[in-house]
Amino acid sequence: MKAAFVPPSPAALLAIASAVTVLCGLIALTVGQEHIPLLEVWRAFTQPDPNNMDQVVVQTSRLTRVVVAVLVGASLAVAGGLMQALTLNPLASPGLFGINAGAMFAVVLIAPVMGAVSFSHFMLLAFLGAGATGALVYAVGMRGPARSDQARLVLAGAAISSLLFSFTQAALVINQDGLDSILFWLAGSTAGRGMNEVRLAWPPIVLGLLGSAALARHLNILVAGEAIARGLGQNVGRLRLLLSVCVILLAGTAVSLAGTVGFVGLVVPHIVRRLFPNDFRWLLPGYALFGALLLLMADLLGRIVLPPEEIPVGAMTALIGAPYFIYLTRRSGKHA
Amino acid sequence: MHRMDRARVQAWPVANRARNDRRAFCLRLLGLPAALALLPYPAGAVLVEHAMGRTQVPMRPARVITLFQGATDIALALGVRPVATVDSWTEKPVYRYLRAQMGDAQSVGLETQPSLEDIAQLQPDLIIGSKFRNERAFDLLSKIAPTILAQDVYSFVSNTRLIGAALHREAQAARLLAQLNQQIAALRVRLTQKFGPAWPLSVSVLDVRSDHIRLYLADSFAGALLSALGFAWPSQWRDGSRSIIKLTSKERIPVMDADVFFVLLRSDSAAVRNNYVAWSGHPLWQQLQAVKYGRVHHVNNVYWSLAGGIQSAFLMLDELQAKMFSEISS
Repeated sequence: MKAAFVPPSPAALLAIASAVTVLCGLIALTVGQEHIPLLEVWRAFTQPDPNNMDQVVVQTSRLTRVVVAVLVGASLAVAGGLMQALTLNPLASPGLFGINAGAMFAVVLIAPVMGAVSFSHFMLLAFLGAGATGALVYAVGMRGPARSDQARLVLAGAAISSLLFSFTQAALVINQDGLDSILFWLAGSTAGRGMNEVRLAWPPIVLGLLGSAALARHLNILVAGEAIARGLGQNVGRLRLLLSVCVILLAGTAVSLAGTVGFVGLVVPHIVRRLFPNDFRWLLPGYALFGALLLLMADLLGRIVLPPEEIPVGAMTALIGAPYFIYLTRRSGKHA
Repeated sequence: MHRMDRARVQAWPVANRARNDRRAFCLRLLGLPAALALLPYPAGAVLVEHAMGRTQVPMRPARVITLFQGATDIALALGVRPVATVDSWTEKPVYRYLRAQMGDAQSVGLETQPSLEDIAQLQPDLIIGSKFRNERAFDLLSKIAPTILAQDVYSFVSNTRLIGAALHREAQAARLLAQLNQQIAALRVRLTQKFGPAWPLSVSVLDVRSDHIRLYLADSFAGALLSALGFAWPSQWRDGSRSIIKLTSKERIPVMDADVFFVLLRSDSAAVRNNYVAWSGHPLWQQLQAVKYGRVHHVNNVYWSLAGGIQSAFLMLDELQAKMFSEISS
């Protein structure tokens, strides 16, 4: 056994992570095209002055980015953690429910037909696409004998995702104009979203977070194995359904708000499980906080490396997440 | 004997020359009608230097296929109608301004992925593409027909010269370019007179997409013409290291600032219009010089960006002149 790394107590860890997240959020508000001092950021909320352009930038652009990054990061990480518990598969991510594929399909193929014109329209369609696909994957993957094996959900998700991706790719090749226009959505982006979109997105996300929090104790039993869970009187089928609804709410809203942001849902749960005790009452807030933090940092980096252009946050998360993930798997070999 | 030999040696070349002259004359007599009959397809080839090396192309190619928008525009301007070309980016399959000249030319697919099978079936005798798009297909294309590739798809001046050489119409190409330069010089004088000490005005070309805005700089089709007219580029872009900048966040609006804006809407879809409304409605937009002076001009995105040929260069100049000298922003 190696020299034991004694992690700080989970409560202290959560407090530290919250503090770092708040700090990151504040830095994100000051950094950008123009440096805006914290005092001016503060005034933007306490004594707003519509003629002060710095304050306008904070209100119209930077604050929404921070809120979007926090919401999307937290949702994806929690959804990923739930997915991994639900399938008992450490490589599961929210995308496995076909959510990204469904949202992309809806935005690329259905949006032009429906005459979607505003960001809110796109969002709504993406959410419906993600939800419908998630439901379909659930129906295909979970139906069958009561003791269904988890691999079936993974396979159903992979198959339906590939099917929808191929439709989407075909459509994008035929209409390249369309591809050029939704480039940033496809790559995952926090830019250009307004408070309108945030207002649409926060209720389902909060609902999903609260729902998963309510299921935390049951999750602890579920990951011990299906037989044990049944033996302890859990209604496994109903629990799975409720969890799936939470995943679809969280990941579906996240993809509709920011496009396809990969890696957060896969990597953050692994990081958090190494730091926190194996109890979903600690893990879930850990997922949410670390997810928010990772996305905030990714967005911040994406904005400062190549000004005035921005690297889409979806690309940045992979850039930060992938090396860490490799490091993690190399180090911990046996226990995922 | 000895003398005679010498005499013969001396006489030989004379006799030879006379015989050669006679033969050449006869040949010319015989050849004249033959050459006249063959005038559309005379034998012989031209060596053309292009982005992938040198290629022998027939003297007067009759079945030309063009693989990018600017090449189609330029070939037509030189009086050669391609037998086939690639689909236009918008106003499909052929830009409106080229339709009358194009007639019923065939399509060989998209500019980003032309169909080699269709191209082969049409049995071209010259293919004009670009290194930017067709570099990897060059060897295959060359097996179908002599192929020349332009360096890129938007440098219309060098592309006009190249295609002029390939079509054996250098003089015509030079005439067109001279005409364009004349028009640029004349317009430049008018602009200098109109704006006086304020000249040169700085300029930004904005291409509005449905989820971002692109800024075209000097190293672009419109940028090259605007530079030639004497427009200046905002100071932060003068180093010329970038040709396109994609802006996604509205807090970057000040980056666009210039005395004149030319705005292209990528398509007339509601999503693009709404995005333009959203950007131009931002308080930062109102702070921009071009907006304050009412110099935000909406222009045709085919002429200014998507076409990239010599005809579209003339059309762009016409539109620019109309906008700058009515100075009512639209």
